[in-house]
Amino acid sequence: MKRSLPSSLLLYFSLIVLTLLIGLPFWWVLSGAFKLPQEIIARVPTMVPHSFTLQHFMKLLSGSDYPTYMVNSMIVAVLSTAVTLALAIPAAYAFFRLAFPGREILYRVILLAYAFPSTVVLIPLFGMFAKIGLIDTLAALVIVNVTFALPFSIWMLRSFFASIPKEIEEAAIMDGTPPTIILRRIMIPLIAPGIASVGIFAFISAWTEYVFASVLILSDGKRTVPVGFSGIIGQYQIDWGLLLAGASLAVLPVVILFALVGRWFVSGLTEGAVK
Amino acid sequence: MQKSRSLAIVFVAPALIVLTGILGWPLVSAVLLSMQDVRTIGSAGQWIGLHNYQAVLSNQSFWMAVAMSIIWVVANAAAQTALALITALTLNQNFPGVRIVRTWVILTWIVPTVVVVIIWRWLFSTSGGMINPLLAQAGMIDRPIGFFSTPWTAMATLIFINSWRWFPFIALMMLAGLTRIPSDLYEAARIDGANGWRSFTRITWPLLAPTLGVLTVVGTLLSFNVFDIIWLMTAGGPAGGTRTLPIIIYETAFKGYKLSEAATMSVLATILLMAFALLASRTLMREDDR
Repeated sequence: MKRSLPSSLLLYFSLIVLTLLIGLPFWWVLSGAFKLPQEIIARVPTMVPHSFTLQHFMKLLSGSDYPTYMVNSMIVAVLSTAVTLALAIPAAYAFFRLAFPGREILYRVILLAYAFPSTVVLIPLFGMFAKIGLIDTLAALVIVNVTFALPFSIWMLRSFFASIPKEIEEAAIMDGTPPTIILRRIMIPLIAPGIASVGIFAFISAWTEYVFASVLILSDGKRTVPVGFSGIIGQYQIDWGLLLAGASLAVLPVVILFALVGRWFVSGLTEGAVK
Repeated sequence: MQKSRSLAIVFVAPALIVLTGILGWPLVSAVLLSMQDVRTIGSAGQWIGLHNYQAVLSNQSFWMAVAMSIIWVVANAAAQTALALITALTLNQNFPGVRIVRTWVILTWIVPTVVVVIIWRWLFSTSGGMINPLLAQAGMIDRPIGFFSTPWTAMATLIFINSWRWFPFIALMMLAGLTRIPSDLYEAARIDGANGWRSFTRITWPLLAPTLGVLTVVGTLLSFNVFDIIWLMTAGGPAGGTRTLPIIIYETAFKGYKLSEAATMSVLATILLMAFALLASRTLMREDDR
C-alpha cells in the first residue's frame, strides 16, 4: 500500500520525535560519562564530546563500592529469574490445561495481585523477615522479587500456552503420554519465546527493584545497584561524571540481555496480550 | 480426572504458597497492625481498635497526600495514554527498521529507576543540565528555571519523567490491540474513499476503545504505586507538593517510627485503590455489553 505524502511526513515526523525523546537522554548520559568534568558542566552543552576520559569509570570501579553492588544485583536478578520460571511455568500450565476446583477464581485473584500496592506489605514483611532472620540477606530480595514477578509471569505464560495448536497436545494425550512429560518434552520447547519473555521480565524487575532493597538490606556490603548507587548520589558533592558513568554501567546488563532476547519479549507482550 | 487434580495441586501449590505467604499474610498483618499502637518494628503493641483510623482520617497531611495521589494518577494516565497512543499508531505502520524501533522503544522501562533519576536530575539541573540552556537558546526563558524548587513545577516535572518511563510499555500493549483490527476493514474504507482521519475515527478509535480503557486502569494502578522515582527525585518535597500516599506511608513508618499509623494509611490506600479498580472494571464491562 502506498502512503500519501502528508501521511508519510507525519509518520517520519513522529518517528524522529520518538527517537529524540527516548534516545537523546541516553546519548547525553553515555557521552557525558566520557567527558572531562569541565565539559560536563560547561555553560553551552556539547552534543558530541570534545574531550575523552575514563577517569569517572576508574573512580567508580576502584574508589567506591559500586563493583560490590553490581555483583549483588547480578546474584539477586539471576536467582529471582530462575525461581520465577520454576514456579510460573507449572502454575501457568495448570491454569491453562488442568481442571481443578476454584481455577478461575484463583487465576483472577492472582491477576489482582499484580496491581497490589507494594507499600502495604512492606511494613508487615519487614517484621516477618526479622522474625525468621531474613533481614539483611539477598535471599529476602529474591523471595520478594519472585512474588511480585509471579502474577504477570503466570498471565503471560498462560497466553503462550494458549497459542499452541490444540492438535499437538491432543495427539500426545491419545498416545497416553503423562502430563508431566507433555509439559517437559512438548510444551516447554514450543513456548521457548514465552519463557524468554518472562525471564527478561523477571530479570528486569529484580534488577530495577528499589523499595524493598532499600528497607530489607541494612549493611552496605549487601546493597544492590539501585540502592547502593542512590547512596552515592547523596554521599559526594554532586560529581556528575561519576554518576553518569555509574548510570551507563547500570544500564549495560539489561541492554545486553535485551539485545540478545529483547524481540521475544516485545512479541510476547504484543501477541500474548491478545488472548 | 482425579490424577489431573492432584497434579494440578503439585503444579500450582508452590506459586500459591509464595503469593499467600508474601502478599496475603502480610496484608492481613497490616490490618491487624493498624488496630494496635506499634511504633517501631519488633516492639509489642496494645489493641486500640479503630483509634488509628480516627487519627489518620483527621490528619490533614494524609488528606493532602490523597489529593496529591489523585493529581498524580490522573495526570499520569492522561499523559501516558496520549503519548502511548501516538507511539502505538506510529509503530503500527510499515517502515524500514520497524522491528528494531518496536524492540528498543521500551528502553526507558528496562533501565533501573535510579538511572532514570540521574538522567533527568542532570538534564533538568541548573548547572550543566541540557534543558535550561536549550530553553534559553530558543529564547523561551531569561534565566534558568529551578524545576524542582516549587511544588507545582516539581509535580509537573515528575509526572513528565514517570510518563516518559512508562509510555513505551503501554504503547506496546496498545499495539497488541491495534494489530488485532482486521486490515480488510481499512481496505474497504479506502475503496469507499475514506481518508486517513475518517478511518481513524470510524474504525481504529471504536475498536481500540476497550483496550484503551483496560490499559488506562492498569496504568492508573501502576502509577499509584510509584515510589522510587518520587522518593529519589524530591523525597515528597518541596513543601509536600509531591508527597503522594506511598511517600507518606514510607515516611510515617521508617522516618516517623509510627508503624501502626503507617499500616492504617496503607490499608486505607488499598481500599481506595480496590474501590477504584472495581468501579472501573464495572464501567468497562458495561461498555462491553453495549
